[in-house]
Amino acid sequence: MSGFVNDIPLYAAGLATTIAVSLLGIFISVIVGIFLALALRSRFRLIAIPARGYIEFARGAPLALVLFLLYYGGPQFGLLLSPHVAGIVGLGLYGAGPFAEIFRAGFSAIPKGEQEAAEMLGLTPGQSFLNIELPQALRVTLPACVGQTINLVKESAVLSVITLGELTKVAGTISSITFAVVTPYLTIALLYWALVETIARLGFYAERRFTVKGS
Amino acid sequence: MTASKAAISVRGLQKHFGDKRVLSGIDLDIHAGDVTCIIGPSGSGKSTLLRSIAFLDPYDGGDVHVFGKLIGWRETPLGRERAGARELAEARRSLGMVFQHFHLWPHMSVLDNVTLALRLVHGVPRKQAEETGRAMLEKVGLSTFADRRPESLSGGQKQRVAIARALAVRPKAMLFDEPTSALDPELVGEVLSVMKTLAVEGMTMVIVTHEMGFAAHAASRVVFMDSGRIVEEGPPQTLFATPKSERLSQFLQTWRERAL
Ligand SMILES: Nc1ncnc2c1ncn2[C@@H]1O[C@H](COP(=O)(O)OP(=O)(O)O)[C@@H](O)[C@H]1O
Ligand SMILES: [Mg+2]
Repeated sequence: MSGFVNDIPLYAAGLATTIAVSLLGIFISVIVGIFLALALRSRFRLIAIPARGYIEFARGAPLALVLFLLYYGGPQFGLLLSPHVAGIVGLGLYGAGPFAEIFRAGFSAIPKGEQEAAEMLGLTPGQSFLNIELPQALRVTLPACVGQTINLVKESAVLSVITLGELTKVAGTISSITFAVVTPYLTIALLYWALVETIARLGFYAERRFTVKGS
Repeated sequence: MTASKAAISVRGLQKHFGDKRVLSGIDLDIHAGDVTCIIGPSGSGKSTLLRSIAFLDPYDGGDVHVFGKLIGWRETPLGRERAGARELAEARRSLGMVFQHFHLWPHMSVLDNVTLALRLVHGVPRKQAEETGRAMLEKVGLSTFADRRPESLSGGQKQRVAIARALAVRPKAMLFDEPTSALDPELVGEVLSVMKTLAVEGMTMVIVTHEMGFAAHAASRVVFMDSGRIVEEGPPQTLFATPKSERLSQFLQTWRERAL
């Protein structure tokens, strides 16, 4: 048991890494996802088709594969990334596909007439997007976004394959030193659960606060 | 093309959706202060005409001048090209539009709906915009609803907010596309009475409607459309009492039978 107490700082560092890398990765996913969703509905095929292609690729590729490509394949193209950066970017690119699908559905749920009303009042397409479309799309997609965020946090366990010291990697390290299996993995299971539970509760709170019905 | 004195001047307007011709040469002059009601069977092109005037549906033949400005197109020595977004916004500035399904922005308060364009487009400071916004809500009889969300309003109230929102930026003409068609019958009156007030105040209005009673009393002119053409037009008394065309007689007959 004294071993476990000694390991607490390791778990804490792993948890911090998991949180930081997931948050940054998910942030990238959301931003890229929004742009992909916009690209999907573009009138220009040169924009819409590559976006569709990317989403299909992201749907088919396992996260580990994206990470291997970035981290081990990158240097062949002069792309030398630290595990942290590769992890964040990999998670971001991997998550962008599903987020794009979520936002596409969110944008298309907004009646076109609301944009026409904005247009008639003189709002530019940018103003209309930022003030009418985006806030509503974020609200209607909130539950799906929370679900996707939880997925990505759990999938971030795969980041251990590129030597990133997140929770799963910490458990592996401790287990290989102490030969204990149950304690380290149960501990991180509990930590993942706490993380996911926190996100779910925050999401639930935000939903109650922000969700509006259509007019 | 000679610039007409009319507030809105439509000449030889044509519009196709794919191969389908929806407007086949519409000529129409709307003068300042006119209240023009457009009637006609469903699918005859009334909405498309209104949306073409606002260039929400880009027309593909003829021209529409709104207070002297050609809307949506720019004449160049090589022919016509689509006007830029800014040019289009400039030409639209004098037009307000009210839709059948209101299209309020559900994530904002009623007051924010009314003031958003003032603040974003016209650079009016929030406090001043809200003063104007409250005055507009007062005008449509909803001054106590400023902080409500659209979802908590009845259809009639929503449509009145939509009218206040359009009026807030001081348009010179208002376009209404079946403003009462989505409403429960008991809520139609409150919207029509707001529109009547506007008409009395001299607002230039083009109204697509099935409310023949309103057209008879409030319109200075009624336009009857069928199959993408204007079949007949004139003052409501003349048009309703002595229709010249078979199609209008038929249309009015059907309407009377339904009203009974
Ligand atoms: N966006 C569109 N795409 C294709 N056809 C359309 C579109 N909008 C309207 N139409 C067609 O144009 C015709 C006129 O429609 P509309 O102007 O809405 O008639 P009204 O308002 O008189 O009922 C109809 O046949 C309709 O099906
Ligand atoms: Mg219509």
